[in-house]
Amino acid sequence: MVVWAAVLLFVLYPLGRLLVLVFWNEGPSLDAVRGLLGDWTHRAALVNSLVLAALVGVAGTVLGFAFALLAVRGSLPTWLGRALDAVVLLPLISPPFTAAIALIFALGPRGLISYHVFGLTNVSIYGLSGTFLSETLTYFPIAYLTLKAVIANIDANLEDSAFSLGARRWRVFRTVTVPLAIPGIANAFLLVSAASLADFATPLILAGTKFPVLPTQAFLQITGLYDMRGGAALCFLLLVPALAIFVGQRRWIESRGGSYVTVTGRLGAATRIKSLSPIAITGLGVLCGAVALLVLVCYALIAAASLVKGLGADNRLSFVHYAHVFSGGLKAVRDTLIIAVLCMPVGGLFAVVLGFLVARTEFPGRRALEFAAMMNYALPGTIVGIAYLIAFNDPPLVLTGTAFILVVCYVFRYSLAGTRATMAVLAQIDPSLEEASASLGARRDVTFRRVVLPLVRPALLAGMTVLFIRAMTAISATIFLVSLSWSLVTVRILEGITNLELGQASAFSMLVIALVYLAVVLASLAMRKLNAGSLGQAGSLLGE
Amino acid sequence: MASTLRLFASLLLVLIFAGPGLAQTVNVYTAWPESLSQPIFKAYTAKTGVQINFLRLSTGELVARATAEKNNPRADVIWGAPGDGFAAAKEAGIIEPYKTANIDKIPAELRDKDGYYTAVSRNTLIFMSNAKLLKEKGLKAPTSWNDLLDPVFKGQIQTADARTSGTALTRILSIYYAFGKDEEKAIDYQKKLHKNVQVYTKSGGGCTVPASLGQTMVCIAHMPDAMEAKKKGYDVVVSFPKEGVAAVIEGVALVKGAKNREAAVKFIEWTFSKEMQDLLDKNDVYMLPTLPGASIDADVQALMKEAKLLPVDLEWVGKNRKRLVDRWINEVIRD
Repeated sequence: MVVWAAVLLFVLYPLGRLLVLVFWNEGPSLDAVRGLLGDWTHRAALVNSLVLAALVGVAGTVLGFAFALLAVRGSLPTWLGRALDAVVLLPLISPPFTAAIALIFALGPRGLISYHVFGLTNVSIYGLSGTFLSETLTYFPIAYLTLKAVIANIDANLEDSAFSLGARRWRVFRTVTVPLAIPGIANAFLLVSAASLADFATPLILAGTKFPVLPTQAFLQITGLYDMRGGAALCFLLLVPALAIFVGQRRWIESRGGSYVTVTGRLGAATRIKSLSPIAITGLGVLCGAVALLVLVCYALIAAASLVKGLGADNRLSFVHYAHVFSGGLKAVRDTLIIAVLCMPVGGLFAVVLGFLVARTEFPGRRALEFAAMMNYALPGTIVGIAYLIAFNDPPLVLTGTAFILVVCYVFRYSLAGTRATMAVLAQIDPSLEEASASLGARRDVTFRRVVLPLVRPALLAGMTVLFIRAMTAISATIFLVSLSWSLVTVRILEGITNLELGQASAFSMLVIALVYLAVVLASLAMRKLNAGSLGQAGSLLGE
Repeated sequence: MASTLRLFASLLLVLIFAGPGLAQTVNVYTAWPESLSQPIFKAYTAKTGVQINFLRLSTGELVARATAEKNNPRADVIWGAPGDGFAAAKEAGIIEPYKTANIDKIPAELRDKDGYYTAVSRNTLIFMSNAKLLKEKGLKAPTSWNDLLDPVFKGQIQTADARTSGTALTRILSIYYAFGKDEEKAIDYQKKLHKNVQVYTKSGGGCTVPASLGQTMVCIAHMPDAMEAKKKGYDVVVSFPKEGVAAVIEGVALVKGAKNREAAVKFIEWTFSKEMQDLLDKNDVYMLPTLPGASIDADVQALMKEAKLLPVDLEWVGKNRKRLVDRWINEVIRD
C-alpha cells in the first residue's frame, strides 16, 4: 500500500536511524538516557512541558470555541466576521519567533501596552506566564479553524427540535450544541496541546532559564552542548506524553461513537439559529474583541518596525527594509513559495486519503498507521530535521540539498491537521451515504472520488491551507534541511531577529503574512466557485 | 486531477536533481550574520570568479549539521564561527588540519596547535548599556564585573544562555580569567550575577535589541553586536570591565573530505591575505584582524585602548568547556 510505504520511508526510517544513534554505542546501550535523568533541568523540563501543553490546550480550545461560536452563531455583519477572521489568523500565519517578539514589544518591560499605556515598569514576561500567553495566542487559531468547521456542520434542525421541545437556550447549548461539537473539541485540544508540546521557538525566546521545557532542552542539548545523542534521547521522552494525548483522545471519541452524525443527506431547510442569546453574544464579543485587539497591537508593532529605519531609535518612515527584501532576499522568497505550493496538493491529498483510510476502512495495522503518521508532528521539529539529515544524506536515498527533502518534511509533518479535519468531518457524515454508493455498484475508488471527496472538501481545503501556512512559516525542522541551493524566508527572519536586523525581519514577516493571506483568500474563493451552495455552511471555513 | 498530479510529480523529479551547480564553487557554512559575511564572500567572487555558496547557521547548529553530514560533507569550509565551535568540530572529526602559507605571521595563541583551525579575526566581550535608562537612574556604565552585582541592576541585565551561545562561553571564560583562574570564585561570582539577570537569551546578540529599546539596562555581548546598535542610531554606551575580558577568536577550517578541496584551500589562503583582513575594517565588521599590519577600525581601536584582553588557552578550553557549562547549569542558574 502506497500510504504505508510512504510513511515507512519518510517517518519511521529516519526515526529508526535516530534511535540507533541514541541507543547504540558499540552495542545496545542506555547510557544516553541514564545521563539525562540525572540532570535537574531535564526532569523539570518534562514536568513543565506537560503542564504547559495542558494549559495551552485548554485555554486555546476555550478561546477557539468562543471565537468559532461568535463567528458561526453570532450573526455578525459579514465585514466584521471577515475582519475577525483576518486578525485571528495572524498569529497562525506568522513565523513562530515573530509572535514571541511582538509580545515582548507589547507586554515586556517598556512594552507599548505594559509601560506606555499602563506605566508598569517591572513586568515579567519571561517564564511560564509569557510562554503560556504567547503559545495560546499562536495556537488558538488552530482550534478556531477546526471548531468553526465542526460547528458550522451541526445541523441547525437538531437544535431547533430541542427548542420546540421547550428547552431553554443554555440547556440546548449544553446538551445539544456542545455534545455535537465534541469530536471537534477533542480534536482541537489534541492539536493545540500537541503544538505546544512540540513548540520550541516560543520557549526559546520567552521561557528563559527558569522554565525549561523539553523541546527547547533538546535543541539546546544538540546545538549548545554538541550532544546529538542526548538531544535525541530527550526527544524520545516527548513521545510518551504525545502518545498519551493521542490514545486518550481516540478512546474518548470512540466510546461515544455514532451519536455525532449530523450530515445525513437529508439536510432540511436551514432554520435561523437561535441558540445564543444577545447577552451571550455580547460577552463573547467582548472577550474575542479584547484578544483580537491584543493580537492587532502586536502585529501593528511588527508592521511599524518594518516601515521605520530603526524602531525606537530612528522612527522616520523608510522603505530600506523592503528594498532589501526585494533584492537580496528575493531568492529565499521564491524558494519558499515554490516549496509551499508544491506541498499543498501532495500533502492535501495525502491527508484526506489517510483520514479516510483511518476513519472509514478496516485493515490490519490501521491504528499503527495512524499513529506512525502523526509521529513527525508530535516530535519537536529539531529532532525531525536532524533525523532527516542523518537518514537522507547518505545512500541509499540522498535527498539533502534538494527541495524535495523540504517538501517531504512539510508533508509528513503538517498533514495531520488535514487528516484530523477529514476524520472530524467524516465522523459527522452518515456512512450510509457511502453504502448507498456502494450498493449502486460503485467501486471503492469511485465512491471515494464521487462521494467522500466532495463531502470532505472543507477538510481538504483546511489541510492544504495549513500546509501552505506551515511551509511559509515553519522553521524548527527545516533549519537543518535548508541548503546552499534552497533557502527559506523563515531562516532569514530568525537571522534578522538574532542580529538586530529587526526592520528586515519585520519586513520579511509582513511579506510572508501578505502572501499567506492572499493564498487563503484565493483558496476559499476557488472553493466557493467549485461547488457553489453544495457545501452549505461548511464552506465558510476560512472566512467567506 | 490526474494530470495535475503528474505535472507535480515531474516537477518534483526535476527538483530532486536540482542540487548545487557545477561551476567552480566553494560551499561555506558560517555563523556570521549575512550582513557581515556576504560582502566578504562577494569580494572574493568579484576577484576570482569563484562562486561562494554559503549557509548561515548558529554555531551549535553548524556543528550538529556538519557532524550529521560527516559521511557525505556538503560544506567545504567552515568560515567565521567562535573558537569553541571549532574545538568541538575538531573533536567530532569533521575538519582536517590545514596550514595557510601565512601561518607564521599569525600569533600562536590565535590558532590550533595541530593546525585544525586558524583565527580569521579576534572578537571581544563588552558591556552595552542603554544610555537613557542609566540617566534615569543616575548611574554610570558598569566598568567592573563587580559593578553588575549592584542591586540597582536587579532584573536589568540580559546575557546569553551558555547552552546555546558562544558569547556565553566567552563570558564564563572572561569571569574565570578575571578572577585569576580561580574556578570556585568564578562560580560564586556568577551565582551572585544570576540574581540580577532578567533573562538568558538563546543567541549571543539576543540582548542587543532589548538593551537598545530599553527593555533591559545592560547587555553583556560581543563588540560587533554593540557597534551595530550604535551604527543604527540607538543610544547605547559600550564599556569594559577593568578586570579584563577573554580574548576570543573567530576561526576558519577546512572540512574533512571537502568535495571542492582545491577551491576551498585557495579561499582559505585568501582569508589570510592583507586584502581580506583589511575588509574587516572596511566593511565595519567591528572585529580585530589576525594578520599583523591589517587596518583596524578607528572606533574599535579607540575602544580597545580601554579593554584589557586576557589570553585564552584554547587547549584548556577544549578540555574544560563541558564542565564549565555543566557547572553553570547545575550551580549558577539553579535557583
